Amino acid sequence: MSSQPFDPESPASAIPAAPPPPPALLAAPMGAPYVRLPKSPGLAAFLSLFPGLGQVYNGQIARAFVFFFAFVGSIYLTASGHEFPFAFCIPFVYLFNIIDAWKGATSLNARFLGGKGAMEEESGVESPVWGGTLVAIGLLVLLNNLGWLDLDRLARWWPSLLILVGAWFVYASVQKRKASGSADEPPSL
Amino acid sequence: MNRPAFSPEGLTLGVCLVALGVLWTLANMGRLELLPALRTWWPLSLVLWGVLELVDLLVRRSSRRS
Repeated sequence: MSSQPFDPESPASAIPAAPPPPPALLAAPMGAPYVRLPKSPGLAAFLSLFPGLGQVYNGQIARAFVFFFAFVGSIYLTASGHEFPFAFCIPFVYLFNIIDAWKGATSLNARFLGGKGAMEEESGVESPVWGGTLVAIGLLVLLNNLGWLDLDRLARWWPSLLILVGAWFVYASVQKRKASGSADEPPSL
Repeated sequence: MNRPAFSPEGLTLGVCLVALGVLWTLANMGRLELLPALRTWWPLSLVLWGVLELVDLLVRRSSRRS
């Protein structure tokens, strides 16, 4: 601050100079430059109206192939007489493809800004279930194709899949509640 | 840091494309029928993908321990 005496006639001293802002305010986002994010989640989701195109936009080529062939394969198998369960797969794959593209773009943006991507956070929950499921489905279909197993005869047992998935959700829910710890527990009386 | 050891999806896609190229070449040479072979053996790609996911998981776990 200046040590000059206050002169009411002087225009410079008509309004006292404001004190310099504290350092915390200097680092406020108001003064930060505009950062252009590498991916637009909205555009990725829009492109995914054609399955796989949003993943191509995100640079996830393998995912793009997976979604495209899952969608086309579901339509093909539905049209060739396997309405169940592939007719249900069509909307599921289609919507999941759009959500995945949105999340992929968001994750890439988060990584660009130095944060942790949403998909990396998800992959933090590591489990062999996904890999094991892929191997099991692949082996079942392969054995069926080779004539060593008749999937049509197993068709009546498909509700067991619902039981397994439901049991898995119950198990995961219980584990998550245990892991969330005693912080949420009400005080014992 | 929990970086993946490799990309199972990318590796599966690459191997599948190589296999498709080999099969297509053999079909062009008259050694096999492409479509019946693909119709029979395509689930191997799922098996490969699943195995690579499991291997990736094991590699990440072991690298975190060490």
